[in-house]
Amino acid sequence: MAMAPNMRTEDAARQAAAPPTPRARRAKRLIPVAVPALLLAASLALPGFMFSSDRRPDVPGLGPAAWPNAVLALLALCSAIWLFSEVWLLVRGRVSTSLATPHDEDVYHYGKALTGILLVIAFGWLLPIVGFALACAGFLLVWCLYGGLRHPAVLLLVPTIGTVALLWMFMGLALMPLSRGAGVFDRFSVWLLQLLGIY
Amino acid sequence: MQTIDLLMAGFASAFQITAFLTVVAGLLVGVIAGALPGISFVNAMAMALPFTYAMNVTHAMLFLGGIYVGGVFGGSISAIMINVPGTPASLPATWDGYAMTKKGQVKRALTIAVTASAVGGLVSALLLTFLSAPFATFAMKFSQPEFFAATVLGLVSVIAIAKDKPVITMISLLSGMAIGTVGVDPLYGQARFSFGIPEVESGIRFVVVMIGLFAIGEVVDLVATDRDLRPRKADGKVAGASFRDIWNVKGAIARGTALGCMIGVIPGAGATPGAVIAYGVEKQVNPRGKEFGTGIEAGLAAPEAAKNATTGAAMVPLLTLGIPGSAATAIMLAAMMLQGVNPGPLLFIMDPSMVYTIFAAMIIANVLMIGAGVGVAQMFSTLMRTPPAILAGFIVILSLIGAYGVRNNIFDVYVCLVFGVIGWAMKRVGFPSAPLVLGVILGPLAERYFLTSIANSRQDYTVFFTRPISATILSLALIFVLWSLWPSVRTRIGRQPAQAKPKER
Repeated sequence: MAMAPNMRTEDAARQAAAPPTPRARRAKRLIPVAVPALLLAASLALPGFMFSSDRRPDVPGLGPAAWPNAVLALLALCSAIWLFSEVWLLVRGRVSTSLATPHDEDVYHYGKALTGILLVIAFGWLLPIVGFALACAGFLLVWCLYGGLRHPAVLLLVPTIGTVALLWMFMGLALMPLSRGAGVFDRFSVWLLQLLGIY
Repeated sequence: MQTIDLLMAGFASAFQITAFLTVVAGLLVGVIAGALPGISFVNAMAMALPFTYAMNVTHAMLFLGGIYVGGVFGGSISAIMINVPGTPASLPATWDGYAMTKKGQVKRALTIAVTASAVGGLVSALLLTFLSAPFATFAMKFSQPEFFAATVLGLVSVIAIAKDKPVITMISLLSGMAIGTVGVDPLYGQARFSFGIPEVESGIRFVVVMIGLFAIGEVVDLVATDRDLRPRKADGKVAGASFRDIWNVKGAIARGTALGCMIGVIPGAGATPGAVIAYGVEKQVNPRGKEFGTGIEAGLAAPEAAKNATTGAAMVPLLTLGIPGSAATAIMLAAMMLQGVNPGPLLFIMDPSMVYTIFAAMIIANVLMIGAGVGVAQMFSTLMRTPPAILAGFIVILSLIGAYGVRNNIFDVYVCLVFGVIGWAMKRVGFPSAPLVLGVILGPLAERYFLTSIANSRQDYTVFFTRPISATILSLALIFVLWSLWPSVRTRIGRQPAQAKPKER
């Protein structure tokens, strides 16, 4: 039994050490060109979106656009230099090492990472809808499952105790006005906070 | 002799039980608040302000001083242990401190950090005691051009952090500065890049950007890499720090302390530029500078000493001129004024007892910090024995609460999530995020000082070069850039480009 995790790690490490597919190689080559190209395009386009109305401010001196314009011009210049050097390397058939993924991990599960990001975004999105208490408990439960924890006691206690502790710390002691949610969720949050003695 | 007598009287007052307990309470609140990602010690000081109404002015200053000293260090606990700087000034602690944690040397990293911080803070407190008056005279000469020059020095110091990638580092820094221009400008009151969204008009707060870039990406990686952060034995022995280890970084601590004291006394500079500049200088000076970022003790010790060395130094202009040197000292100024006390040169004549009690308390707080820091770190160490999934879940929640708490606004949570995704992507492609954060922090300061300098000098652009102090600081910035870039330029001149490798087959 003790060997199982090691074997899984070794398998994963072998997979990670396997040569990259042609598609991955292409993507790896394109990223160092695409990033400066995007930054160059953004820094050239953004001055046009600086003020939300068409009316330009008429003020003495340098004006509010001077500093952002200077920063964006410098950004465009640096991006152009980077883009030029990357294209130069690409044309000469050399591989750029200007951007390199971290080498500190043997295994990186991209699928798991993307799922994690979606869970965090979902938590932030649900926060004003269902309120902090429910969003927090739900997030902790799903996050524990996502993290590979299956023990029923852990799945019950971590979200419950964690949510109560956080509610007490931030809404009870620090008096932070965390979201109570909307509609029925607001009423539930108020009931819960009264039950806990916070309200 | 009079100073020593006054200091002794200050110690006698500070060691009275209520005063002593006030310092200890402040210190613990500061270390814990600093260590919690997103809940900075400045927030803790702001939240503690109403509690000081019930205290006398001396106790109020002792409490806030304790939070300040403890909080500046506390940020490094989370930086070292989970790669999330609790405060902006703890950013450099992630570069070598977290690298040491990944090597299983978390205890060693924390011991070095707390010792360096305590030494820096102690020297700074002594400096505050004995050199207040001359430093105040020097700081009195500062105006907007000098502040601008000091901020530029902080901005260019990130080039020193670049590992043979000055252009990419500059792009990251400038991207951060561009983000810093979002919202109402500091001089004309005109909203920029708001795209008609009212929440954007009030700007993007650096704390929110920092939490998103560092916390979210790190948490996702924590789960996606099956990383084990539990403190473990390295090379067959417990990875703690011995006296010899501390002695080996004495030069880095001394340099960091000296820089922190010099930078801290400049109003507006504060702990963040102090720590970053100290890291950059140490990287250049230290024989192992090229290895910085891989878990080198000197790379951790120098910025740690520097940032705590700014605490005492930042109080010099506050107490002698009434000019707060940082957000934290601005809160202390508010506390004093709420009590009807106006800091300034007269304070040293009118109430020397209070002034020297504060000095003594700063010294005591820095000594006690070793115990408080180790205690909180031990608590964090225990926390890290919990499964990464649970730890990561709570970090996400605390981080988003931290982002929300900046303005009690859900919009900041969304901004934090956006920067979380950006931070994760940046990390995956190897694009440096630290310069971006520094750009967001220092960019708006630089803009404000630049525009007010130009406006005050009636559109005279030479104002930065005709004023001696400003010109000296800008010259130092230029020398710093050239000094930092020289190794990569020399390498490029002397050999084939290192960035180009033979074509993959």
